[in-house]
Amino acid sequence: MYGLLDISTSGMIAQRTRLAVSAANLANRNTVFDAQGNFSPYRARRVVFAPGDPSAQNPAARTMGVHVAQISLDQSDFNYRYDPGNPNAIQTGPRQGYVPEPNVNPVVEQMNAMEAGRAYEANVAAAEATKAMVAQALRLLA
Amino acid sequence: MIPDLFNSGGMPALELGLRFAAERQKLLASNIANLNTPNYRPLDVSTRDFQAALARAIDDRRAAGPAGQAGSARGPSAAEPFFKDTNEVRVGPDGRLELSPRTASGNILFHDRNNRDLERNMQALAENSAYFRTSAELLRSRFEILRTAISQRV
Repeated sequence: MYGLLDISTSGMIAQRTRLAVSAANLANRNTVFDAQGNFSPYRARRVVFAPGDPSAQNPAARTMGVHVAQISLDQSDFNYRYDPGNPNAIQTGPRQGYVPEPNVNPVVEQMNAMEAGRAYEANVAAAEATKAMVAQALRLLA
Repeated sequence: MIPDLFNSGGMPALELGLRFAAERQKLLASNIANLNTPNYRPLDVSTRDFQAALARAIDDRRAAGPAGQAGSARGPSAAEPFFKDTNEVRVGPDGRLELSPRTASGNILFHDRNNRDLERNMQALAENSAYFRTSAELLRSRFEILRTAISQRV
């Protein structure tokens, strides 16, 4: 019976991770330097879910929950802004004078955040139903 | 005598209902946890089939005569299985119910190749907890009756 709650919890953790990644993407919307200070525009992160939760203690949740399989980099093209005076502008080639900027799309991130929030709520509702059932089963003893 | 105390009347059916609802809750919770998992197909078992099998088991039991009646053909006791396994529901060796769920079909396939149906799933969740609650309450009232009977004796 208790393994039941693990399943909903794994769903909540996965959706929370997704929300955190969306927040990180939005926060780094204008980040063009990496942690070492080199010019390297931020790439949007994408969360990939897979069924099963290998970290769960309970065998039921290990096969039935959900987990974040990987957080991958969005390999789509950067946004290019024309700014020839910028020291980071591309010097040669067809994109001469353009500055690459992170490929974070605020609309996509907003959508992702909303969906993650709703899915989180659904998991909470499932956990509430399970909790009510566990309480009912315990009342059998009293 | 004592095993029959808990194996008479509606008790085995109620107990089986509780175990079925608990196992099904796992499936429904996992469907909700995997709401956004690519390639995931929601799993479920048919409550209709389970309840039909349960009804058959109850009928068989009634036909076999009341349990614990001296002299008459005894009904199935705790040692004998009460429930006949179906395609989806199987009573395991340790008494646990093992479900072999089907993947749901019918809803549209989303772009992540997941045919989730949140509304249906929430409905099933509500129904399942109501079923569990009903079984638990009925079982509880059975226990109350037993308790009353016992307390009259001492």
